[in-house]
Amino acid sequence: MKPDGPMKLVADLLDLPLIDSEGCYCGIVDDVEFSGSKELKLKALLVGAGAYSGRMPRWLYRILTKVAGDRVTRVPMNRIRSIASAVTLDCPGSELGLQRSEKTAAKWIPKWGAM
Amino acid sequence: MNPLELTLGIMTAVGGFVDISELVFAAKAGSTFGYALIWVFAFSTVGIIVFSEMSGRVAAIAKQPVFNLMRHRLGLKLGLVTLLASIISNLVTCAAEIGGVSLIMNYLTGAPYLVMAVVLTLLIILSIWVLPFKWIERIYGLLGLFMIVFAAALVGIHPPWAKIAAGFVPQVPHGLSTKELMTFGYFCVAIVSAVLFPYEVYFYSSGGIEEEWGPKDLLTNRITSILGMGLGSLLAISILANSAQLFGPANISPEIPGSAALEAAIPFGKWGLILALLGMLFAVAGAAVETCMANAYSIAQFFGWKWGRHKKPWDAPRFTVTWIALFVAALLVVLTGINVMTLVELAILFSILVLPLTYLPLLLLAGDRQYMREHVNGRLAKGLGWVYFAVITVAALSAIPLYLLTSGGNG
Repeated sequence: MKPDGPMKLVADLLDLPLIDSEGCYCGIVDDVEFSGSKELKLKALLVGAGAYSGRMPRWLYRILTKVAGDRVTRVPMNRIRSIASAVTLDCPGSELGLQRSEKTAAKWIPKWGAM
Repeated sequence: MNPLELTLGIMTAVGGFVDISELVFAAKAGSTFGYALIWVFAFSTVGIIVFSEMSGRVAAIAKQPVFNLMRHRLGLKLGLVTLLASIISNLVTCAAEIGGVSLIMNYLTGAPYLVMAVVLTLLIILSIWVLPFKWIERIYGLLGLFMIVFAAALVGIHPPWAKIAAGFVPQVPHGLSTKELMTFGYFCVAIVSAVLFPYEVYFYSSGGIEEEWGPKDLLTNRITSILGMGLGSLLAISILANSAQLFGPANISPEIPGSAALEAAIPFGKWGLILALLGMLFAVAGAAVETCMANAYSIAQFFGWKWGRHKKPWDAPRFTVTWIALFVAALLVVLTGINVMTLVELAILFSILVLPLTYLPLLLLAGDRQYMREHVNGRLAKGLGWVYFAVITVAALSAIPLYLLTSGGNG
């Protein structure tokens, strides 16, 4: 599947993992954003717990965003290299703001001792 | 295919096959029903071979671990339900393994059980932090091979081989009362659950991704699944048969994990006992590692985080924080003082409930030509897969009623 090709269903894309140009996992396609009115075109992929809102009951969404935050990161379609069993980006995830939580967690991890 | 790598992989799978639940239920099954439950072990082993091979193939071809693809297949809501159920199941199982390993160290050293739980959890965390992925797998798996002493013990006590062979034929013993029949049914469900624990496929397929499997590794995957799981299962069957021969006639019910070790002490004395306890120690500790890592893999894969022990701990920080937190959570469960046998029963119960949710997406994925291309499930894998899915669904539906009606298999 090509990023600018026709897609039968948005479901083909939802919940696929994102892998950046360095081969690192950097999120999941949690929702998509469209542009246009007559002919809808995919504009961006939305990543983060904040994008769950339309996909689950409100009470569950509230609980989840309390735990995981409500941040949403937009990944423009022109940064996508390919779509298969994962969505591959053409740049590092950090360039699009996708690795912020990893960086926060990294502060807790000592950088020694592993072989 | 590197023969040395293959042999080590098979031996690791053999040593890592038995965990605390199999130890407990194999020994209890033998003492309660003689050789009549051997076929359930054999039947379930074919099931775990089928699903392990499938999960390894999905990892090698789709290049994505099962939980990543599971969310895509099931959708966010059902995926979340599966994730939550598997987190609870794996956490309880990990607590049972930590409890088991602490109890075994308590037998070996006499040190207090709860102190051992803290010390051993810290040692396991340290070993995962320090060692590369392959070493972690191999050290626990290969040292778990001390459990071969159970197979040697079986030969040593000259059992009735014809009766053991007859145990491989599906059967229900004659003359059981309704209550005993229900207990037999509960043991069947518990053994299916213990052999087909969901963490095994999460760990196995994630390991395949960590080791960068591709189409060239499909044969290795198949051989490792069949021989590793098959030979590992023979160890569990040896424990059952020893128990049927030694404990059953004496009306001894092995209520604690350490009872199984006595099976090796009878023919081989002190050294048999020590080898059995050491084998149990490493096999159960290995299972603790697998359950906890499988849990962390699932969470990281579900949310698309960096994951894997092929990376340094600080290169996959959220994953690292998660597996350490899960170990601490499992330790806290043990420190409540809850009995290890209760934990084992809860692990069995939670796991069987999660099994259909684990294996359905795997079956769908392995049968999806879009992902699997020419390596899609063939007739045999597809047929066996659906048969086992039907069996585990029936087992899941009957688990809670049987557990309640038989007081957890205690009649």
